[in-house]
Formats: sequence, C-alpha cells, structure tokens
Amino acid sequence: MTISDDVLMAYADGELDLRTRAQVEDAIAADPQIARRVAAHQALRGTLRAGFDKVLDEPVPDRLIAAARATSGAPSQSRVEPPQDRVVVPLRPRRTRTLALPRWALPQWGAIAASFVLGALVWHFGTDWYSSGPVTERNGQLLAAGTLDKALSNQLASEQPTQTPVRIGVSFRSKGGDYCRTFQLRDNTSLAGLACRDQDKWRLEALARSEASPAGSHPEFRPAGSALPASIAQAVDQAIDGEPLDAAAEANARTNQWRVSH
Amino acid sequence: MKALSEDLGEQIVGLLPRLRRFARTLTGNVHDADDLVHIAIERALSRSEQLRADSPVSSWLFGILRNAWIDEARARNRRNRVFAPEELGESVADPSGHQHADVISVQGALARLPDEQREVVGLVLVEGLSYKEAAAIMNVPVGTVTSRLARGRDALQVMLGTSPDGTHAAHGRPGTDAQDPR
Repeated sequence: MTISDDVLMAYADGELDLRTRAQVEDAIAADPQIARRVAAHQALRGTLRAGFDKVLDEPVPDRLIAAARATSGAPSQSRVEPPQDRVVVPLRPRRTRTLALPRWALPQWGAIAASFVLGALVWHFGTDWYSSGPVTERNGQLLAAGTLDKALSNQLASEQPTQTPVRIGVSFRSKGGDYCRTFQLRDNTSLAGLACRDQDKWRLEALARSEASPAGSHPEFRPAGSALPASIAQAVDQAIDGEPLDAAAEANARTNQWRVSH
Repeated sequence: MKALSEDLGEQIVGLLPRLRRFARTLTGNVHDADDLVHIAIERALSRSEQLRADSPVSSWLFGILRNAWIDEARARNRRNRVFAPEELGESVADPSGHQHADVISVQGALARLPDEQREVVGLVLVEGLSYKEAAAIMNVPVGTVTSRLARGRDALQVMLGTSPDGTHAAHGRPGTDAQDPR
C-alpha cells in the first residue's frame, strides 16, 4: 500500500478521518520508512512550536494591552488571561514546555501504534534506543524498560537519591484503579512522562520532552510534581482519581508491588 | 454596545500572547511583530461589527493580523524596503548553548520561506489551527493550504537538516506557488 506524503502530513496534523487514520497507522506499523516520514512531520511541528512558544511566556507590552482596552474607558478588573492553547493545571509550572516531541505525546493519541512512537524516539535520540533505552515496545504497547522500569517500581518520591537517572514525580490511582506515576529522565533526552502499572509492567501513557534544566540549578530541590511538561500534567489531570498518594500510601503501594487490591 | 466592546477588548487582551506569537512567525522580529499586533488591535476594535457569533474571535483576529501584515509588506515594498527579518540566527532559543553554528535556527528557516508558505506554517504548525480554519483566515481553498503547507514543510526539513530521507524532500516540490489548485 502506498501512501502519499500529503496523507502522511495530514495524519501528522490530525486532519484525517478515523478510517484513513487507521489505514495510516497500519502502514506505520508495517513500514519503518513510513513511520520515519510521519515522525519527521510530527517532529517538525514540535520543533516549530518549541521555537515560538517562548513568545507566550514573554510579558505583553503595556501599549498593546492599553490599545486593546482603549474603548472600554474604565479600568478593567480582569487580568491577562492565559492563552487558550496552554492548559493550566495545578501541576503546570511556568518554566517548562513540551519540546520537539510532537503530538503523539498527548493522551488523545492513545491508539497510535507504539512501534511508531518508539520509531519517533529513535529518530530523535539515536539507534541505541532500540537496544538499551528506557522505553521498549511489546504487543503494541509502549513500556518502561531498564533504569526507568526499575525506578518506577522501586523509587519513592520521598526518598530519591540526588544523582538518580530518573526522577519520580507524583504517584496516584487512576480512574481505572491502577497505580500511575510521573517521571522525568535526567539524561540528555529530558523526557518526562506518565506510566501506569499494567500487571508486572509499566505502560507509558504519555511522553513529552521537558526543557533542559539550566546549568547550575538544583532540579532535585524542586517539589514533587513540578517541572512537568504541560501535556504530561494534562494527562495526569485526566487520569487521576482524587488526590496524589502521600508518602505513606506510596510506600505501601510499593510494598504491594503496585498491585491493586480489589 | 459599550459592554460588548469592553468584552471584545478583554478577549483581545487574553489572546495577545498568541497574536504576538503569530506575528512573530510572520515578521521574524519582535518590533515589527508588536507593531503589527498593535495595528491589528486597532483594526479589530474599529470593525467589531464584523465579528460573527459563529466563528471564534481568535480566527477573526488572526485574519485581521494576517491582512495587516500583507498590507504592511506591500507598503514596505512600495517604499523599496525589504521586509527582512533580524539577524537570522539571533533568536535561537537554546539556553544550553549547544547549538552548532552551522545549524540554522527555526526562526531563521521560517524567515526564508515565501510569505504564503510562512503564514500557513504559522497558522497550522505553530498556532495549531486546522486546515479549514487556516483556509478561512487566508481566504483560499483548503487544497491551497495543503499544497503550500507541504512545500513549506519540505523546505523547512531541508533547511533544518531533518529530512526523513535526505534528498527526497529537497527536490520533491518546487518552491513556487505555481501549482496551487485554486
């Protein structure tokens, strides 16, 4: 099956109907070349966003605000609203944003072929991701592997080594009842994500790239849950049932190997 | 009526960060971009009766801003001035300083696109609008959006060195708008 680049582009832009989308996803799963082309389209979206999102964080010049309010006469009590496309959730910090890794990072792309996502990661970070990366794929699902798998299983948010390669954020029960945890990789990928326990594995629900920590800062002093990319915070917001686990509940869950008692 | 225009003013204030971003993708530098936003605000407030209830305020404002940019670019051309971006590499956003000198910045690459490709890239890839919304703002058919977007994408991939398969994209499409299915 041949698929034109325009269709792949439309797929990357979320413009296809369900049926065509499914065809593209089949093709992505079957053909690494197609997966690479789609990944490149999506990566470009992410790169462009990353290149211009910083404008959103700049203070808006007073003269523009004054111009917009010029007809209203009386001083307004309302403040500058956040721009529409940035989701404000409790976990969203000011200084992070999703970078470079594009829309498959968002939860609504949950049905996307895992092999394709892995392909996009490899596209970004190099081929050693296939063999020894923190993410692997099995039966069409993206799973934590290696150091990430270990950290998700063993590391408590309250007791993290300062030099840990994986930083655990919040742990919580999902609406489906499973345990889920957010994490950030402290390597050059700056990946952050949300993983949920699925039998004896950690299934990745969302992945995004966070802005690298400025040199000389002390990221380990950030409170748990901060510095998450907005898309991950949004995924947490959608998945969480109630409040995050406190330290005791988290330790208890680890003792039970993150199994859910029904 | 006063209440309505107050409301519009506040909606514009809320959208200013996005308007500034879109203007930045069009003009490539902060001063021209903010001047453009300023012009667009004034036009919007003076034409609030054109605002339709069935289309988002943001699309309406993006359209006004885009048209103001075209007018401005024409005026500049008449004065024989080049509507050029600032130093192309100037706004590379890489606090770690790891950017190689020979890698063109996203902003620099975008600035080198033809205007009609740059605006569609700004609307769809940066602002996240649908092809249909972008087509309405640019007042062209959706097919024109997709063809311009495809060419813009190819050119950007080549400039940024991220083509999925090297030579393919570099020669795949012409750089002009000649084939627009208008």
